Amino acid sequence: MNRLRRFLRTPEAIAGVLILALLLVMALAAPLFFPGDPQAIAGPALLPPFQDWRLPLGTDRLGRDVLAELFHGARTSLAVGLAAAAAALLIGAVVGTLAGFAGGLVDEVLMRVTDAFQTVPGFLLALAFVSIVGPSLSVVVAAIALSAWTGPARVARAEVLSIRERDYVTGARVIGMHPLEIAFREVLPNALPPVLALSSVIVAAAILTEAALSFLGLGDPNRVTWGGMIAEGRTVLRTAPFLSIIPGIALVLTVLGVYLAGEGVVESTAVRRSLS
Amino acid sequence: MSVLAVSNLTKRYHRGGKPFAAVDEVSFDVGPAETLALAGPSGSGKSTIARLVLRLIEPDAGRIDFEGANFFALSGAALRARRARLQMVFQDPLAAFNPRATVARVLGDPLRIHGIAPRAERPRRIAALLERVGLDTGLAARAIHEISGGQRQRVAIARAIATRPSLIVLDEAVSALDVSVRGQILELLLDLQRQERIAYLFISHDLGVIRAVAHRVVILDAGRIAESGDARAVIADPQSAVGKALVAATPKLVRTSQDAS
Ligand SMILES: Nc1ncnc2c1ncn2[C@@H]1O[C@H](COP(=O)(O)OP(=O)(O)OP(=O)(O)O)[C@@H](O)[C@H]1O
Ligand SMILES: [Mg+2]
Repeated sequence: MNRLRRFLRTPEAIAGVLILALLLVMALAAPLFFPGDPQAIAGPALLPPFQDWRLPLGTDRLGRDVLAELFHGARTSLAVGLAAAAAALLIGAVVGTLAGFAGGLVDEVLMRVTDAFQTVPGFLLALAFVSIVGPSLSVVVAAIALSAWTGPARVARAEVLSIRERDYVTGARVIGMHPLEIAFREVLPNALPPVLALSSVIVAAAILTEAALSFLGLGDPNRVTWGGMIAEGRTVLRTAPFLSIIPGIALVLTVLGVYLAGEGVVESTAVRRSLS
Repeated sequence: MSVLAVSNLTKRYHRGGKPFAAVDEVSFDVGPAETLALAGPSGSGKSTIARLVLRLIEPDAGRIDFEGANFFALSGAALRARRARLQMVFQDPLAAFNPRATVARVLGDPLRIHGIAPRAERPRRIAALLERVGLDTGLAARAIHEISGGQRQRVAIARAIATRPSLIVLDEAVSALDVSVRGQILELLLDLQRQERIAYLFISHDLGVIRAVAHRVVILDAGRIAESGDARAVIADPQSAVGKALVAATPKLVRTSQDAS
């Protein structure tokens, strides 16, 4: 509980956590509040917000309930953002650990591959991947992870390079531990903290990338996404700007919430580290 | 037959672009249940020899026979299996363990890796090891950072003996401990040697400690052997310049050798 209190010390962290909590509730409660298909027609087309209490945020060009879409979109954004970030962190941590621990040729090859991925802009990479493999939720997750693992890989490698010289790693060799076990059981867990510190930035970027892919029509067509909603609204931007503005605000708030909460975590662990 | 036979061991590093020999044509051997001390000023190559003997680094020349077989001929799984017989204790017992580990994990790892005890039997073996080094068996559940430095060094010794080695390399293993704890640890090492017939390669810059535990001593200077022989004899009457300097730098020794004369 002490840790939680330290974490919630700053107003920024509190704001971040509140936003994320709201988002989480929206994502989890979406099927409860809005059972059935959010893409089904619910009323007259292009109903402005705050006109009909049954459709508080109005309807879009096809008469779909905007609030229902927003709730279900939160589900997609959160799921894709978290899954892609987790995959990116996992790939990055494994590649970075192998490169840093093995050294020599393995390190050389893995880092050249990392360089290659880093020179291509992440979004283009994701774009290319989805257009080749075809849009579905898992492909979008993979595409985003593919464009985001290089940062964690570099951080993990740098950390592993310093850890592998420690006595306890030598000690593990002396007792005859297999090199792979040393790398993943002894070294990797101790190299994780700075890698995990990247997670808020990666989650935020993943949510934005997912929105951008959907905006370009490369999201999973069977799911409501905020990016897709913005793209839909664009066609009627002059007459019904709220259709783009509402999901846009949701997107900005979410990214802000992730970022603020992430900063809070980093700060609270930094304080703990400097205390110990 | 000796447990460890080192001949013409050489290891070169580069310093300022020029190669220099950190270990230069060094030969010695260690018999069963014998303690051979390596002494010498800082940078004389003691730790480098330890790392070579443990095959943590590869030599540029020379040969090491361990338990009668060429140690450098081994690699991969065969080398890892052989490591059960050749263990090490570090100077800093805190740095020597994974900061996330518990005592039970630290002691359980060698038992698991070398198939010494099946999982169900491990807690009993761990308790026996703790008892063997004079620790409370309740310590098993503690994290490594939750026990004292002296207890930690006992855990390090318990880990080293878990696989029943014939040789343990101790690199300044008691140097970081305060005097009273150091005495107890040395007692424990002597007792283990008597009971289990373990040989020690005992690295220290403290000739007082060496005189207390070592049978023979090798004094190194800039990677070469300056002199070697019976530990008491060498310390009482060093022949080499480094030997004399080391003795002179240990005040207690000067006094006691004066007492003796
Ligand atoms: N990895 C390395 N690269 C380059 N030089 C090294 C390396 N390891 C050791 N040396 C050098 O080899 C020499 C011997 O070092 P070593 O650590 O064996 O000395 P030591 O006798 O253990 O000294 P101390 O008593 O200070 O522990 C030193 O000059 C050291 O700088
Ligand atoms: Mg040393």
